[in-house]
Amino acid sequence: MKIDFSGLESTAPLCGANSEMFDGISTSPSFQIPDTTDFDDFQKEAIQMVKPAKGTTTLAFIFKEGVMVAADSRASMGGYISSQSVKKIIEINPYMLGTMAGGAADCQFWHRNLGIKCRLHELANKRRISVTGASKLLANILYSYRGMGLSVGTMIAGWDEKGPGLYYVDSEGGRLKGTKFSVGSGSPYAYGILDSGYRYDMTVEEAAELARRSIYHATFRDGASGGVASVYYVGPTGWKKLSGDDVGELHYMYNPVEPTVVEQEMSEA
Amino acid sequence: MTKQHQNWSPYDNNGGTCVAIAGADYCVVAADTRAVGCISPFTGAVRQKLGMLRVISHLGMFGGELSRADKSLMASSGFQADVRALQKVLAARHLIYQHQHNKQMSCPAMAQLLSNTLYYKRFFPYYAFNVLGGLDTEGKGCVFTYDAVGSYERVGYSSQGSGATLITPFLDNQLKSPSPLLLPAKDAVTPLSESEAIDLVKTCFASATERDIYTGDKLEIVVINADGIRREYMELRKD
Amino acid sequence: MKLLDSTDSGNSSSIERTQYPYVTGTSVIGIKYKDGILMAADMGASYGSTLRYKSVERVKPVGKHSLIGASGEISDFQEILRSLDELILYDNMWDDGNSLGPKEVHNYLTRMMYNRRNKFDPLWNSLVLGGVKNGQKYLGMVSMIGVHFEDNHVATGFGNHLARPILRDEWHENLTFEDGVKLLEKCMRVLLYRDRSAVNKLQIAKITEEGVTVSQPYALKTFWNFNAFQNPTAGAEGSW
Repeated sequence: MKIDFSGLESTAPLCGANSEMFDGISTSPSFQIPDTTDFDDFQKEAIQMVKPAKGTTTLAFIFKEGVMVAADSRASMGGYISSQSVKKIIEINPYMLGTMAGGAADCQFWHRNLGIKCRLHELANKRRISVTGASKLLANILYSYRGMGLSVGTMIAGWDEKGPGLYYVDSEGGRLKGTKFSVGSGSPYAYGILDSGYRYDMTVEEAAELARRSIYHATFRDGASGGVASVYYVGPTGWKKLSGDDVGELHYMYNPVEPTVVEQEMSEA
Repeated sequence: MTKQHQNWSPYDNNGGTCVAIAGADYCVVAADTRAVGCISPFTGAVRQKLGMLRVISHLGMFGGELSRADKSLMASSGFQADVRALQKVLAARHLIYQHQHNKQMSCPAMAQLLSNTLYYKRFFPYYAFNVLGGLDTEGKGCVFTYDAVGSYERVGYSSQGSGATLITPFLDNQLKSPSPLLLPAKDAVTPLSESEAIDLVKTCFASATERDIYTGDKLEIVVINADGIRREYMELRKD
Repeated sequence: MKLLDSTDSGNSSSIERTQYPYVTGTSVIGIKYKDGILMAADMGASYGSTLRYKSVERVKPVGKHSLIGASGEISDFQEILRSLDELILYDNMWDDGNSLGPKEVHNYLTRMMYNRRNKFDPLWNSLVLGGVKNGQKYLGMVSMIGVHFEDNHVATGFGNHLARPILRDEWHENLTFEDGVKLLEKCMRVLLYRDRSAVNKLQIAKITEEGVTVSQPYALKTFWNFNAFQNPTAGAEGSW
C-alpha cells in the first residue's frame, strides 16, 4: 500500500544527523501503516478497541455582518461521556476557525496541521491565506487518506480579502461552499431551528442568539451532544468568542419555571 | 495438522488505572502497579505485576531516579508493550530535545509531543491510555488527558484506564469546577490542598480496587511541586 | 518461519506469514535461588497434538551470563538463538572487556519480539531469560507480542496456571540448589500429569557467577495410581 505522505512534509527540517539510528525519533515523522493482509478488517478491530471520542453538534452560517460559528462540547465513547469540555471550535489563526465533528484526534491533528500550513503560506506570500485556499488544503489532505478510516466533518469559517467565507470539508473528500451548515449527530435538530429562524440581515446579537438556541435544542434532543454551547463570531477584524453557556442552565432560560396555579387544594378528611 | 489455529492479536489488554490532579502549585499523578495479562499463546488471564508508571525525566531514559528538574510525569494503562514503547520513544525525543536546547521540555510542549506521537500511529494505534501531569511554565499544576489516537485536552483532573469509568464520576462530584469554555470565564482551580489531593487519590484507588478486577496490588503516587518531586506508595487489595 | 508468496515476493504487503505455530514446545519454568537462576523445561516438541520430537533442548546458554528458555514455535526459537549468537559475537569483537549481561539480553529480546509483532510477523514464543552478572541475579520473561517483566519466579504457558501457584506458595529468597531443583521437579511433575503436551524427559539448567551448567536429560519418578487417575469419572457420573 502506497500512501502520499506529502501532507506531512515540513519545510523546516530538524537539524542534526539524519542517520538510521534515529529513524522514527528525530527524522520528520511519518505514519506507520500496519503490515497486514487485511487493512480494513484491522482498522475495524483497532477502532473497536480504542473507541475514539465521537458525537457532536456544530453549526456555522454566513449573515450580513460575517460568520457565526457555534458548537457543543461533549465527547462520548459509546454510551460513556468521556469529556464535557471539548474545544470543538478550533482557532486556526485570528481570522479563521475550524469546527470539529467525527474523530476527536483526527480533527485536532489535521486542524493543527492546517494551522501550520496557513502560517507558512502567510510567511511565504506576505498575505493571509483565503478561506477557499485553506479549506482546499485540508480537503486535499483528507482526500489522500480516503478509505483509510479517518473520520472528519469540519467547517472552515473565516474572513479573507473577499469577505466572509464558509466551507464544509469531510474525510470522504467532500468540500462544499455554502452559507449555512450544521454537522454532527445533533445536526438535524440544529438545522430545524436554524432554517426557521435564519434571515440574512440579522444583527450580530440576533445571529448569536439563533446559533446558541440551535445548539441548545440539539443538545436537548441528541444524547451525544451536550456540555457548553460556545458561540464565535468572525467579522472583518477577526474572530471573537461571544458566549459560552452551560446548556443545563440554558434550558431554564428557554423554559422558565413558572409557579403553577393550584387548581384545587386538597382538604383534610 | 487439523485447523486448530490459535489466532493471534497484536494487542492485549493489561488493564491498569491512572489518575492525575492539578492544583494551584502542585500536581499529583498516580497509577496502580497491577497488570493482568495472558502471557502466552494459551488463553487465560494471569495476574502479573508489571510496573506501569514511569517518569519522563532528564536522567532516565527510563525508570531513572526522580530529578528535581523533572517537569512532566506520564502515567499509562492499556497494552504494556505499547506503553513501554511509547514511553521509550518519548524519553528518547526528550533527550534529543535537551541536547538541542539545553533545557527540560515544558509540560505543555511534552503534551503536544505526546499527542503527535500517538497520532503518527493513527493507523496502527498504540493501545495506551495516558494522563500527563506536571507544572506549566508559570509553575501552575497542569493535567492533560488523551485518547489512544492522540486527541488531548488540558483539564484540572483526569482518570484513564480500566477504572476510569468508576473514578471519573467520583472526581467530578468532588472536584468539578466551572467549564473553561464558559464566557464570562469563571475561576476554575482545584479547591484542594496538596495533602487533600493525595488523600483523595488514595480514596479513589481504594474504591476502584473494590470493583475493578484490573486495578489493585499497589498504588504509586508521584507529587510534583515547586520544592521538587517525590514518590510514595500505598498498598491496595491484592485479590 | 516465512512463507513467501510464489507469485509476488518483492512486495512486502503480499508476503504470507506464519499466523499459527507448527512445532511447539510447552512450558518453561525459571526461579531465582541463593546463588543464581534455575530453569527447567521438558524436551518434547509437538506437531499439533502429535508429540513429534522428544529430544529438543529448549534451555540454552547465551554468552557468559545468561540463560534462555523458550516455549512455542521451535523454529522461531532457533532463529532467535542464531541472532543472539550473532549479538554476542559482535559484542565480543569489541574486545573491550565489557560483555552483555542478562538485563541487556532481555531488553534486546523484548525489542526483537515487539518489532516482529509490529511487522505482523511475530516470533511465536514465550521466552524466559535468566542470568547473573556482578552478583546481580536477573530473571525475566517476554511474550510473543512484547509484553515483558521481571520476577523472582516465572513460567510460560500452562506453567502460569499450574506452576506459578506452587511457586508463590513455596518459593523463598534463600533456596539452596537442592531445594530449588526439588521445587522445580515438583512443578514439572504437576505439569507432566496435567499438560498433555508435556513429556517425561527434562533438563534443568543452572546459572551462577561461575557459569552455566545444563543437566543431562532425565525422567521424573511418577505415580499414576492416584485414585483420581484410576477412576476419573467417580463423582461425575454421566460425563465421559
